[in-house]
Amino acid sequence: MVFSSFIFLFMFLPITLFLYYITPRRFRNLTLFVVDLVFYSWGEPMLVLLMLTSVLINYVSAILIGINREKKALARTVFVISIILNLGLLGFFKYVGFIGETLNFVLPFLDLPVLEVSLPIGISFYTFQTMSYTLFLIGLSKKVLIANEMGALWDAVRESGSQSGALGAWVGITAYTFQIYFDFSGYSDMAIGLGRMFGFEFMKNFDYPYISKSITEFWRRWHISLGTWFREYVYIPLGGNRKGLGRQIINIGVVWFLTGLWHGASWNFVLWGVYFGIILVIEKSFMLKLLKKAPAVVSHLYSLILIVFGWVLFYFENMSDMGVFIARLFGADGFMMHGSIVSCITGYIPLLIAAALVSTPLFSFIYHKIKSRAVTAVIDNAGSIAALLLCTASLASSAYNPFLYFKF
Amino acid sequence: MRPAKLLKYLPAFIFCGFIFVFMILWFALPKESYSSQEKRMLAEFPELNAGTLFSGDFQKSLDEYMSDHIPARNFFVGLNADFELASGRNGSNGIYLGSDGYLFPKPAVRTDQLINNAQYIKEFAESIDVPVYMTVIPSSGYANSSKLPLIHEDYTDAELISDFAKGLGSRVTFIDTADVLIRESALKQLYYRTDHHWTSRGAYECYKALGKKMGFEPVPESEFSVETVTGFYGTSYSKSALWFVSPDKIELWHNTRQSKDAVTVEIKDGSDIKTNNGYFFRERLEEDDKYPVFVDGNHSLVRITNTDVEDGTLVVVKDSYAHTIVPFLSQNYRNIIMADLRYYKKDISDIVRSENADGVLLLYSLDNLSNDPYLSNLF
Repeated sequence: MVFSSFIFLFMFLPITLFLYYITPRRFRNLTLFVVDLVFYSWGEPMLVLLMLTSVLINYVSAILIGINREKKALARTVFVISIILNLGLLGFFKYVGFIGETLNFVLPFLDLPVLEVSLPIGISFYTFQTMSYTLFLIGLSKKVLIANEMGALWDAVRESGSQSGALGAWVGITAYTFQIYFDFSGYSDMAIGLGRMFGFEFMKNFDYPYISKSITEFWRRWHISLGTWFREYVYIPLGGNRKGLGRQIINIGVVWFLTGLWHGASWNFVLWGVYFGIILVIEKSFMLKLLKKAPAVVSHLYSLILIVFGWVLFYFENMSDMGVFIARLFGADGFMMHGSIVSCITGYIPLLIAAALVSTPLFSFIYHKIKSRAVTAVIDNAGSIAALLLCTASLASSAYNPFLYFKF
Repeated sequence: MRPAKLLKYLPAFIFCGFIFVFMILWFALPKESYSSQEKRMLAEFPELNAGTLFSGDFQKSLDEYMSDHIPARNFFVGLNADFELASGRNGSNGIYLGSDGYLFPKPAVRTDQLINNAQYIKEFAESIDVPVYMTVIPSSGYANSSKLPLIHEDYTDAELISDFAKGLGSRVTFIDTADVLIRESALKQLYYRTDHHWTSRGAYECYKALGKKMGFEPVPESEFSVETVTGFYGTSYSKSALWFVSPDKIELWHNTRQSKDAVTVEIKDGSDIKTNNGYFFRERLEEDDKYPVFVDGNHSLVRITNTDVEDGTLVVVKDSYAHTIVPFLSQNYRNIIMADLRYYKKDISDIVRSENADGVLLLYSLDNLSNDPYLSNLF
């Protein structure tokens, strides 16, 4: 079940809120546990068993480790076993197909059968982190009103092929840049908002990443929970920067290889991770100092171009498609766009501008400048109503499929 | 609760109130099984059993069921269309809003099918020995270019039609009516505002142009009395979801000199046969989409007989644009046999022979001709 669907918004959520508030306080988490199982089992009912297994393993391991604190060896053994089981589940469900395909490519004579395992929803997030109304609505609007529309523009640009020229291709990948940010941060906002509805605090996951002045800063502002996790559980345990420059570079390499692979089981994600790893090493060695001295325009442009180009690597799982698109970005199909994509892109200009503005803290800044309680109250309430109506309208529209004898 | 505190919680109340009321309405309101706007059956409540539940089919179907039956669905779909229009995305549902309340489907694109269809028609004309006439109706957006919105895709109808005509060969008499339609569009309404079809007026202008090439004398306009029907919302209207656009009028042109019971329309769908006195099927005027009032819309084979006319037999191979013009052509041909290749699966050349036809007219809109895969069934 996805947050931005009728079934979630107008069925699951109201019922959950209702059940939550009629449950006596001490049983509320039990209520949440049960409705969560319904939530997770919605798309793939049988895979919820996997999740229950994982929950059980971790729950029991934690208790065993807790009561055996004194017996170091035993506690450690339980810990290692639980890690192996957890990574085993993740590895099997997320990466087994990828490993098979790659081995077959490198060593064709092996001819391994490639297992098609359908990925249980949320397993990546779930393994990392068995991890208020306004925030939820902001997230919903980001997802429905901006991300989905930017996705439609990006699709149209790719479908227009060589007609987009370099200009259209850059607009297209910019649209994708917005899509991925508003999709992901919208979803994070919704999750944080929902968490707060039921008394759970989650850390902020995005902090206006596209206003960064370096890639180092970008990764402090983008998907903060992931960056934190890799720093604390991979980079620092490997020795971080405490064991000399050579070792530090290797550690960075490992972290970014894994970061790439975490995003998806395909080599382009590894490429994308390594791309940022290399940029970060370069920034650490000398670039950051230069960027500090440079005018703000230069450092913003530098960061944006690298980020936007990074999304090209992220998007294309097929390397030859990626090559064609990169060539187009650099003028292989001419500079100007022509054909039907021109009017399509022109129509999206207002939304592109809106997306760019919402990517900055501008509106938040203005809102917090307002001293008058009355004015903020009007903004809050009118904004809530507008967001609810427009998001519902957009979702309703996507299910509106005139089956007209249009051609006839 | 103090007013200030109440105000602070108001956005949360609005949110919760909205989702709860929406859910209650969803349960309470009666469910339609058919959407006349979309012309399709809406999803039915899914079957619930252990099999559908554990496979996830039930959940998936429930999603669809819910989306198809949300409260105030038309209001929300319209709101979204209005919002898209206001934020610069005119044409997002495939329909442009032009000036004077005109809705224009986006232009036809160049296809291989169009060129292949020219080849099929060329070979068909070579296989029979009666004259074959062909005309292509350009799109509403092309004929009304001055009413198009500022930003729109190019309507290259003239180019496409002329490329198509080049492939027809010398046995086909191609009648270019696009010029006439453009010229007259400046003065009169030749296309509906809310539908992709042409009006009776548009068909009449084309009828006059055809007369010159096909050698018949068109009945002058003065001999017709025009009946006007209001409240027509066409397919462009349904697709656009721009509900504020005002409805069209449909004109039914009656020949004042026609004798009673002179005209019979006989419709054949497989073995079903139904007959009607006159060209117009008035029960169709009760529907939102009233265009099928003309010879009852799409059917496999339709025979139109006008006993006021002495002779002449014309075979018309067509799409739905022909339904408006056939009542005019029927003023000059005693028998018209109208075949729709989407439903009629036998050779047209057989009809030509068995009916001893004087000629064949192929009449298609450009958009349809560019995509129609059935012309290979001509012979």
